[in-house]
Amino acid sequence: MKEILVRPERCVGCRSCEIACAVEHSQSRDLFKALSEMPQKRLYVEHVPEHSLAVPMLCRHCEDAPCVGVCPTGALTQDSLTGVVRHNRDLCIGCWTCASVCTYGVIGRDRRARAAIKCDRCPDREIPACVAACPTRALIYGEVEEVSGARRAASALKLAQGVAASSR
Amino acid sequence: MTSRTPTVCPYCAVGCGFYITPNGVEYMQDHPVNEGSLCPKGNVAPDVLNHVERLRYPMMRTGDGWIRVSWSEALDRVAEEMPRALREKGPKALAFLGSAKCTNEENYTFQKIARLMGTNSIDNSARRCHSPTIIALRRMLGTPAMTNPISDLALSDCIFVIGSNLAENHPVVARWILRAKDRGAAVIVADPRVTPTAWLADLHLQLNPGTDIALINGMINVILGEGLEDRSFIRERTRGFEELDVSDYTPERVSSITGLSAADIVRAARLYAKAGASSIVYCMGITQHSCGTENVTACANLALICGQVGRPGTGILPLRGQNNVQGACDMGALADFYPGWRSVDDSGAIDELRRLWNARSLPLGRGLTADMMPDADLRFLYVMGEDIVNSHPAVARRRERLKRGFVVVQDIFLTDTAKLADLVLPAAAWAEKEGTFTSTERRVQWVSRAREPPGDARPDLWILSEVAARLGFDLPHDPEEVLAEINQAVPAYGGICRMNAGRRGGIIWPCPHPDHPGTPVLHTERFSTPDGRARITPVHHPAPERTSPEHPMILITGRVVLHYNSGSMTMRSEGLVKREPELHVDVHPDDAVRFGVADGDTVMIETRWGRARARAKLTPGQKRGTLFMPFHFPETNLVASELLDEKSMMPELKVAACRIWRAD
Ligand code: SF4
Ligand code: SF4
Ligand code: SF4
Repeated sequence: MKEILVRPERCVGCRSCEIACAVEHSQSRDLFKALSEMPQKRLYVEHVPEHSLAVPMLCRHCEDAPCVGVCPTGALTQDSLTGVVRHNRDLCIGCWTCASVCTYGVIGRDRRARAAIKCDRCPDREIPACVAACPTRALIYGEVEEVSGARRAASALKLAQGVAASSR
Repeated sequence: MTSRTPTVCPYCAVGCGFYITPNGVEYMQDHPVNEGSLCPKGNVAPDVLNHVERLRYPMMRTGDGWIRVSWSEALDRVAEEMPRALREKGPKALAFLGSAKCTNEENYTFQKIARLMGTNSIDNSARRCHSPTIIALRRMLGTPAMTNPISDLALSDCIFVIGSNLAENHPVVARWILRAKDRGAAVIVADPRVTPTAWLADLHLQLNPGTDIALINGMINVILGEGLEDRSFIRERTRGFEELDVSDYTPERVSSITGLSAADIVRAARLYAKAGASSIVYCMGITQHSCGTENVTACANLALICGQVGRPGTGILPLRGQNNVQGACDMGALADFYPGWRSVDDSGAIDELRRLWNARSLPLGRGLTADMMPDADLRFLYVMGEDIVNSHPAVARRRERLKRGFVVVQDIFLTDTAKLADLVLPAAAWAEKEGTFTSTERRVQWVSRAREPPGDARPDLWILSEVAARLGFDLPHDPEEVLAEINQAVPAYGGICRMNAGRRGGIIWPCPHPDHPGTPVLHTERFSTPDGRARITPVHHPAPERTSPEHPMILITGRVVLHYNSGSMTMRSEGLVKREPELHVDVHPDDAVRFGVADGDTVMIETRWGRARARAKLTPGQKRGTLFMPFHFPETNLVASELLDEKSMMPELKVAACRIWRAD
């Protein structure tokens, strides 16, 4: 299954992804109306000044997601096929239990609707909005195996370059 | 209206493409510059179109208030006041300020009206971002523009970024730099601050503000000392190398000026000179200085002695600010150039235009630049899409001065400048009209009309041609017709038409005739100087702005990712304002202790020119002894320095001695 993977070393902290996410999740999908609606983003670009990095944080759609396990009303469910963790607003009572167990702190709160708010991996889009928006390709959408394979190859190249340089 | 219309982002000059749909934005995956993705500003670009504050009707001032007037009343009034000022005080009493956000066709028409009225007092906001680039690159290379396309950065082996925080200001450029890094390229970033651009660097040179020339001359000193220069390139393609004496700029001496270690200077020099293909990227950190022209000159010297020009992956890449800065300048909306970069002093070159325009005579000699206009004795000022009050230093004084003649402002919002006008004309925004924009990489793209303008707002070109008609000039109001005239007036645009500019990604000038494919890389065989050789030109480190016991800190200004220039557009985009609502000042924690300032305090900043209030943000990446303020907030321009670069008339916006204290 395809996942959203984050390459923090490439993130420049421009927050395009946050804006694209908020617009995608505005009720009207209409920018003009979306603004009065104050749509909420579902991912968070965390600035880590000590290390001069920005790290985009979003739902990992964990296997056996803890948030799903603790949700008392069944508002959170996990698709057995895709692994995507979905949230049903109608069942949500805003008890905040899911947020308290989420390891990554990426479940937010819609105060007006008094409901949890989280990444749904953009079910209506082929490529999630945040991934499509990112100018530096810090966010990628692909199979874990493919991405890991590419990363292995890149690291191997760097290692090889290093070995070649030191033996010269 | 069709479901989606291709367009070009109206913010920075990268020229990203996307589609406007009835709902907002759709990504254009096959655009050659951005390959779909957009930065935050691009993502919310349609925000301004239907904004409630858009100007909808022409308005005339009555004492303190406004009355709505018809278009014919408004246009008649312009056509009365302009000739009246001319009759009473001559052409010197008229001034025109064009817009780097309007199309080529509009800027061309605007400057033509100014010149037909007998004045060269026409300028645009390029004055405040890249006039040093224009002056220096035109003299040295022959063409005042970026030498290679942005995507060429992916082919560089070494990228030297100086005075640019592109990761925040032109985020899409970072995409191509990262691609180069994937191939193993080295990235050097020279910036006093630890910016997100510096995060990309393999070598970050955190130099003292305003010491760029010393750094570059130091690198040249190392390169010449180690014999890393490209002798045959220097011999065959340049002039003036013999005069280049940088023997004073030893790494040790440069180290004391710049605050960098000598080893880092040597390392940067070797990385740049030894790489197979090296490029230099710079922005307003280089140009917005009273030595801006010399700064650009130094960059070009470095590229020339290493032969790093004229091939893919090399070159000098000034990142322009607004979406049509390059175009507005190519069109001659400048006090020192006519269309096609004809100097205002070159009567021979101007003669061709005189024939083309059927004019009896055209004015010679430099007119008033944007920064001189408020202080001049004007009777009539026509401002098209520019917020001169907020985007220039010394806001308060300008506000006073601007009020002395008849002021027409044509814009999409009631900006602070428009508030001072006698007549306000509502214009159409970029997606409500047609015409071409030229991005920073010389890419000319045709923009189609995607929506109707609100109320009675009209395309700038329509307004200008109506004004012209009332003045007795018969100028075309159809963008295609104007472009056809531009083909003749601007040789580099000779073959550009709606068809080739309207293709995905448009066409890169020079495109001298209709079958020409465009010219992504300049100077491959010869430079565009008269003899085909580039001019190496020595420059020296100037006396910098100094701190004093009274003003112990150095203030640096720049941009942040979510806002844009004076903010007349982004400050009206809720999605952006919500995330960056107020003016802040970055302070190093040690300096904060020194001045008794805590994170979140309201502080006052004072320079020789003024004072401003801001919220303190403790930022470890800020260089000790310096402060940083983003310039999208009017307050920042209250404190910016008013010193000018004599050659380009660029104000010193980047460096000012200042003091800071807690305001309770
Ligand atoms: S996948 Fe969609 S919902 Fe999830 S963070 Fe990205 S844009 Fe937001
Ligand atoms: S869009 Fe990409 S680069 Fe920008 S903040 Fe998000 S992940 Fe980082
Ligand atoms: S990088 Fe520039 S042109 Fe591209 S989306 Fe952002 S502001 Fe627009």
